[in-house]
Amino acid sequence: MGDNRNVASEFMRGITKDNPTFGLVLGLCPTLAVTTSVENGIGMAAGTIFVLVGSNLLVSVMRNEIPDSVRIPIELIVIATFVSIVDMVMEAFTPAIYAALGVYIPLIVVNCIVIGRAEAYALKNGVFYSLIDGLGVGTGFLLMLMLIGGIRELLGTGGIKLFGIQLVDFVSMLGYNPIGMMTLSPGAFLTIAVLMAIVNYNRILKALRGA
Amino acid sequence: MADASIFAVLMDGIFLKNFLVVQFLGLCSFVGVTKDVKSASGMSGAVIFVITMSAFVSYFLYTYILLPLRLEYLTTIAFIIVIAALVQLVEFIVRKFMPPLYRSLGIYLPLISTNCAVLGAVLLNVMNEYDFIQSVTFGIAAGLGYTVAMLIMASIRERSNVLYVPKAVGRGVTYAFFIALIMSMSFANYFKVIPL
Amino acid sequence: MIVAADVMPVLINTVSVLVGLCIAVGAMLVIASKVFKVETNPLVDEVASLLPGANCGGCGFAGCAACAEAIVLKGAPINSCPVGGFDVAKLIGAVLGQEAVESEPAYPFVRCQGGNVNCTTLYDYEGVEGCKAALMICDSRKGCTYGCVGLGTCVRACQFGALSMGENGFPVVNKAFCTGCGNCIAACPNGVLTFARDSEKVHVLCRSHDKGKDVKAVCEVGCIGCKKCEKECPAGAIKVGEFLAEIDQEKCTACGACVAICPQKAIELR
Repeated sequence: MGDNRNVASEFMRGITKDNPTFGLVLGLCPTLAVTTSVENGIGMAAGTIFVLVGSNLLVSVMRNEIPDSVRIPIELIVIATFVSIVDMVMEAFTPAIYAALGVYIPLIVVNCIVIGRAEAYALKNGVFYSLIDGLGVGTGFLLMLMLIGGIRELLGTGGIKLFGIQLVDFVSMLGYNPIGMMTLSPGAFLTIAVLMAIVNYNRILKALRGA
Repeated sequence: MADASIFAVLMDGIFLKNFLVVQFLGLCSFVGVTKDVKSASGMSGAVIFVITMSAFVSYFLYTYILLPLRLEYLTTIAFIIVIAALVQLVEFIVRKFMPPLYRSLGIYLPLISTNCAVLGAVLLNVMNEYDFIQSVTFGIAAGLGYTVAMLIMASIRERSNVLYVPKAVGRGVTYAFFIALIMSMSFANYFKVIPL
Repeated sequence: MIVAADVMPVLINTVSVLVGLCIAVGAMLVIASKVFKVETNPLVDEVASLLPGANCGGCGFAGCAACAEAIVLKGAPINSCPVGGFDVAKLIGAVLGQEAVESEPAYPFVRCQGGNVNCTTLYDYEGVEGCKAALMICDSRKGCTYGCVGLGTCVRACQFGALSMGENGFPVVNKAFCTGCGNCIAACPNGVLTFARDSEKVHVLCRSHDKGKDVKAVCEVGCIGCKKCEKECPAGAIKVGEFLAEIDQEKCTACGACVAICPQKAIELR
């Protein structure tokens, strides 16, 4: 509850220090599951941001009225409501992404990021900053999904296709033979393991330099 | 009613579409509770129980209340309420009859309610339009697949305690993901089971 | 167009199903909580919440919950938790109505001077990493089988990151992180690590029970068991048994007489 916090710093914190994948290490299930392409990643992140912002807002508004013993079930029901809305909207307006994401859209309910932020932030902070926090962490999630989705799609299919437009195509440009495994489950584990190792290495270097 | 034999449903749940290493459902507990085999097996037992009972209850809830009243949009909310309640029930039972297990699972027992595997299993039952027998079988299969993956991961991590690991990888989440990489390559759905 | 007549029945259905479900679930849970009631002592829960929760076992009990139970119900001292230290002992004392006594912290201390510089290395060890393994496979890779092997079993045993392997082959203790849990001391297969308070100034830096000639062959600063220190000590605090001098810290006055007389320079005055 520092007095030196402002919108920009709270928002950036969601991307750097409280980064869902490497900082908080939460929400790994959808991060690995939907990043078969950048487009799917963006679709999932959009849905998650909506749910995150909505649940942070509502939980923050109600934070003084929720009895402690039923805290978690109430948060789950709030989140489930927003998820149902996102589910129905995506089914109606973006059927292609909805079909690609499948069961992972309703699974935003149990995405650890959403309930984690509700517990760690929205329960203890005012409405405005809960909103900013939701946007910040959600944006961090979006960037992570785009990064991992980009790597997997690039290496797995040889190009990135966004909303029907082929952005890059290494197959024709470089004669690249795509590694199909990258878009399947082993590729997901490989990508995130290597990325985490790189982040850890940087942290260790920083700690050694600082010490 | 989906056109799949019980055997196909079982194989699907345990191996081909293994919840942990193929479908990425339940990863938080996968990297969190697999530091030793004892807590991994305790967690797996609790998860099998919760998934099976949830599949059981949610089938009736969906087929006899939500579908007839055309309230399919309430599926997510209703299922999560049921799962949260069942996890609370399991917590009561474990706390009363197996206190050491309760203490060793710690925070991870109430966390089963937010475990993607449980909700994923019941939602997949609805999506695949399984009937009662298939739903419960799929629930058990999902739990068994979860157990198999957890036990393999826990055994590897337990034994690799004496092995040399580069500092950047450490012995935590990153290490677990490298092991999961190799496991998923063996589990991945590169083949179909022909329905009998 | 959304008409009220169309919306009402759906609304009624939705609300009644959800409310009905919540009531049914709530009733089931209330009944279950009565049926599966566990009698807990609220004092034990309060003490357990004050403990750090690391479950390191440094207190000697099976985790923080067991420690809380032991403190409240079985009379274990309120400063049982070395990780929490005096601060936690004070809080627990406040809850239970007891006075907490400050005790001096003790840190792990390496009683060996061999390492990479003073002790010969017999083998280039490559394999399962650990002093225990090296001892089992080849009787320690170093010339002296009693000394610090330097492969880091203690470093890995530390849950708090307080130990690291130094350049000269000894573990280095980061006192800021050390919680005094004792895992490293238990992990060292040669018993080279021990607890030492800052007020304990004099230590014998050797664990070798080899005869003097054998010690000198592999290590330049090992204890040869000559008993000169035993004769010099005014307080009778240092005794030589099986070719190794050991100091009784209770009797030691830190006068430094043994330090000066030792021909091997095996005793240290901090």
